[in-house]
Amino acid sequence: MVKLQLESNRQPIQRRLNWLYPPMIVIFALLGARLWWLQILQGAEYSRLAERNRMRSIPVAAARGPILDRDRRPLVDNRPSLNIVLYRELMKDLDATTAYVARSLAVLPDQLAAQLRRNRRAGSYQPIVIKEDVGIEDVSVVEAHQMEHPEIQLSPEPRRRYRYGNLAAHVLGYLGEISEDELARSAFPGVQGGELVGRSGVERTYNQYLVGRNGSREVLVDSLGRELGMVAETDAAIGGDLQLTIDYDLQVQAESLLAGKVGTAIAMDPRTGEILAMASSPSFSPKSFSPRISAREYNEITGNPDRPLQNRAVQNAYPPGSIFKLVMAYAGLVEGYVDEDTHVICRGSELYYDRVFHCWYASGHGDINLEGAITYSCNIFFYTLGQRLGIDRIAARAHELGFGTVTNIDLPSERTGVMPSQEWKRRAKKQNWYAGETISVSIGQGSVQATPMQVLRAVSAIVTDGKLVTPHLLLQAENAPKPEWPATQLPIRKEDASRIRAGMWASVNNSGTGIEAAIPGLDICGKTGTVQLIGSERMKEIAADDAAEFANHAWFAGFASRDNPEIAVVVFLEHGGGGGAAAAPLAKELFRAYFEKKTQAAKKAQAADRSGGVR
Amino acid sequence: MRLNQRLALSFDWLWLLALLLLSATGIAAIWSTTQGTSLSYYVGRQLIYLAVAFLAFLVLLYFDYHLYTDYIAFAYLIGMAVLTLVLVAGHTVHANKSWLKMGTVNFQPSELMKILVILGLAKYYADSDRDHLETSELVVGGLIVLAPMLLVILQGDLGTAVTFLPIYAGLSFLGGLKRKHMVVLLVACALAAPAAWMMLKEHQRDRIESVLNPSSDPRGVGYQPQQSKIAIGSGQFLGKGWKQGTQGQLGFLPARHTDFIFAVLSEEHGFLGSSLLLGLFLYISLRLLRAAREAKDKIGSMIVMGVLSVFVFHALVNVGMNLGMLPIAGIPLPFVSAGGSSLLSHFAAMGLCMNINMRRFVN
Repeated sequence: MVKLQLESNRQPIQRRLNWLYPPMIVIFALLGARLWWLQILQGAEYSRLAERNRMRSIPVAAARGPILDRDRRPLVDNRPSLNIVLYRELMKDLDATTAYVARSLAVLPDQLAAQLRRNRRAGSYQPIVIKEDVGIEDVSVVEAHQMEHPEIQLSPEPRRRYRYGNLAAHVLGYLGEISEDELARSAFPGVQGGELVGRSGVERTYNQYLVGRNGSREVLVDSLGRELGMVAETDAAIGGDLQLTIDYDLQVQAESLLAGKVGTAIAMDPRTGEILAMASSPSFSPKSFSPRISAREYNEITGNPDRPLQNRAVQNAYPPGSIFKLVMAYAGLVEGYVDEDTHVICRGSELYYDRVFHCWYASGHGDINLEGAITYSCNIFFYTLGQRLGIDRIAARAHELGFGTVTNIDLPSERTGVMPSQEWKRRAKKQNWYAGETISVSIGQGSVQATPMQVLRAVSAIVTDGKLVTPHLLLQAENAPKPEWPATQLPIRKEDASRIRAGMWASVNNSGTGIEAAIPGLDICGKTGTVQLIGSERMKEIAADDAAEFANHAWFAGFASRDNPEIAVVVFLEHGGGGGAAAAPLAKELFRAYFEKKTQAAKKAQAADRSGGVR
Repeated sequence: MRLNQRLALSFDWLWLLALLLLSATGIAAIWSTTQGTSLSYYVGRQLIYLAVAFLAFLVLLYFDYHLYTDYIAFAYLIGMAVLTLVLVAGHTVHANKSWLKMGTVNFQPSELMKILVILGLAKYYADSDRDHLETSELVVGGLIVLAPMLLVILQGDLGTAVTFLPIYAGLSFLGGLKRKHMVVLLVACALAAPAAWMMLKEHQRDRIESVLNPSSDPRGVGYQPQQSKIAIGSGQFLGKGWKQGTQGQLGFLPARHTDFIFAVLSEEHGFLGSSLLLGLFLYISLRLLRAAREAKDKIGSMIVMGVLSVFVFHALVNVGMNLGMLPIAGIPLPFVSAGGSSLLSHFAAMGLCMNINMRRFVN
C-alpha cells in the first residue's frame, strides 16, 4: 500500500526524467559532430597549421657579388653585420614592443611605425628590420631580453663595404630595400620583400647577376619563439662577381681632377666602348645610404643644390658648344658639302638671314679650310657649312652619331638629350623652324643638348673612321655569358676622318684652342668647347656675385694617339669657364695618367722578359 | 552485515570503473604535458588528490544518504560561513580570491559548496508532496542557490559561480514547473542577459565575442581557442601519440593540464581517443539519469538530478570551449583536469549518487 502510493507520487518525476534522454543524446551528438568536423574533415588543414606553428623558416641573407675593376681589384665587397629584426607573429603587444625598442634600442616609435607600415602587406612571419648594422651594446640588449621580448631578434646580413669610400659612387650605385610598388610589378624578379636591391649604378643594372641565393634555416620553435633545434639548413650562396671596365688608377685620377668642381670626366677606349673612368662631381658616399631606415641623410643628399646623386656623365644634357663643330665636319664631309678645296673667308662676323653672327675671334681667321676651322674653332666656317647643309641634314647626321638617343650604356636613367630638326620643332614646340636657328645649332648652341657620354661616343666614332660603339662598364659578369656590345659602321671615308683628326691634332699641338692639353711626345688630339649661357653684353650687366651662375660651361673632347686612337676623353665643367683654359688641362692629366701607366706596364713586362732571358 | 551484502550486490562496479578510467586518462594526460617541465610534480600530486577524493567517495557511499539530508541545514550554514571566511581571508590565485590555504594545500571551498547546495535544495523540494512547485518554493529554492553563488561571484570566480545555476534549473525542472513559472523564468533569463553582459569584465566580453568571430584577433583573445582547435584538428583520426602532441608539448596550448586537457587528449589520441572520452561522459550521464529514475524516493532522485546537472554542465562547457564552440570560462573537465578541489567534489557527488543507487531497493 505504502509502496503503491510512493509509485504514484513519483510518476511525474520519472516522466520528466524520461524527457531528458533525447536532448542529452543530441547534445553529445553535436559535440561528436564537431569533433568529426575538426579532426577528420579539417584535420589536414589543422595539421598544416600545427606544423607552421612549430616550424620557422629563418632566412639567411646571401651576400651580393663583389664589384671589381678591370684588373680585378675589388671596389666593393662585403662585411658581416647584424640587424635587429621584429617578428610580428611573435609580438603579443605592440605598445610594449614599441616602448621596449624606444627605451633600450633607441628605435623611435615613428621609425618603428614607418617600418611596420611599409611592410604591412608582407606575411607576419617575415622579419622586419628595425635597426641596421648594430653594435655590441645593442646585441647584448637584445640577447638579454630574449625571454620578455622574443619578437625582437638578431639577424645576420652581409653588408656592402666600399673599399675606397666615395670612389666611383655614381658608377657603382647604392642599395635600397625593394619597395612595395617594385614588388607588385616584379621589377626585380625573384627578389622578396625586405631584401636589398641596387638603386642606381651597376648595382641596379646588374642586380640579377649580383644577388646571391638566400639560404634558410628550418628550426623547431616553442610557443615563445625560442629555438629548440634545427631541422634543416640551406646555405646562402654569394652572388657572382662583376668585373668592370673601370681602371682604378684612372678613376682615382679623374676624381681628384674634379675635386671641388662641378662636372664630369669620362675616359673610354674608343675602339671597344669600354669605359676606363667615369667621374661625376660632386659625389656622395654610397655607404651613408642606410638601405632601409634613415631618411635624414638621404634628404640631406637630395636637398643639395649641386645634386650629388646625379651622374652628370649620362643623367644630364648640356649644349655641346664648339664640340658640335666635329659633328658639323662629319656631316659636311659625309654629305659631300666639304672637300679639300672648301674654303671660307672669316672676317670676324657675317650676316645670315638678316642677322649678324660673330666669330669668337673678332679680327677674323681670314681664309680658312676644314682643318683650320677645327684647329682654331672658327665659327664663320661652320655657320656657312650649316647654312649650306640645312637643319635636317645636320640632324640626320647627328642622329647617326647618337645625338638625341640614348647611348645604351649599362647605367640606369640615361638622358636622351635633344637634337633639333624641323620635325622636332613642329612636334615639341608646335612652331616652324627659323632658318637662323640653324646657324646657332652649327656651333652647338640653340636647342641642341647632349650628355657628355653622347659627346664622347660621337667624337670616338668620328676619329675611329666611323665605328660607333656602345659604351659600357661591364667587362665580364661571373653569372652571365660574355656580353656583346653592338657597334655600327658609319659612312665616313678614312681620308675624311683623318682630316678631322688632323684638325684636332693641330688644335692641341699647333697653337690651336686645345693647346693646354698638349703633352710633348704624345700625339694628343682634341677639341674645346665653351658654352655661352647668355650673351656677352648681358653678362656685363650682371653683378659679379651672380656671375658664377651664368658662367660658361667648359668642354674638352679628345683622344690619343692621333694615328692610333686608344683612349678618348671628355671633360665637362658646369659653369667652369673656357674649354681651353678650364677643361683641356684636366684632360691632359687624364692622358698623362693613362700613358704613364701604360709605359710602366710595358717596362715591367720588358724587365720580366729580360730577367727571364738571363735565367 | 546482511544489509551490507545486499548493498554490495546492488553496487554498480561498471560505473565506478568508468570514473576511475576518466581519472586515469586525466593523469596520463597530465603526465604527458608536464613531464620534463617545472610542473612535473603535478602527476604525483594528482595521484594524492585521487586517493583523498576516493576516500571521500567511500565515506559518502557508506552511510545512508538520509543521514546527510537530515543535517543539511546545519552543513549549509557552515558552508556559507566558510565561503564568507574565504572572501575575507582567502588566498588569491589568478585574480580569483576563491582559495583557502590549508598548510601547503590550496583548497577551493566553492567546489564542495555545490554538493551542499544540491543536498539542501533537494531536501527543500522533496519535502513538498505536490506534483508542481509553488511560487514561494521556487523563490526560496532560488535563494538557497543564489546566496552562495553571490559569495562566489564576490570572490571573483565567475566560472565556478555559473556552475551553481544548473542545480537550480535541474531540480526545479524535476520538481515540476508550472507553465507560468516557466515563462517567468525564461523572461527573467532574457532580461538578465543584458544586465549580466554589463557586469562582465572587458576580457570576458571579448572571449564571448571571439567565439562568434574566431578569426577577429588570432594573436589576442582569439589565440587560445584557435590554438585549441589546431591541437584538436591536427590530431586527425589516430592522434600524434602519447607525449607527441606538438601543440601541447611546445606550449602553444594554454592551461593544457587543466582547462584545455581535452585538447591535449584529442591531439595525442585523435578522433578515436576523443570520441571514446566523449562516450565515457555520455555513459556516466545516462547512468546518472537511470539512477535518478530508479532512486527509491523523491529526495534521492532530486540529489542525483542535481549531480547530473552539474556534471553535464561541466563537461559540455569545458568540451565546448575546447572545441571553440563556447567562450573560455575557467571550468575544468570533471575527473580529468588537474586539480584537487574539482576531483574531490566530483568524486564526493558520485559517491552520493551511487549511495542512492545501491540503496534503491532498501526500505
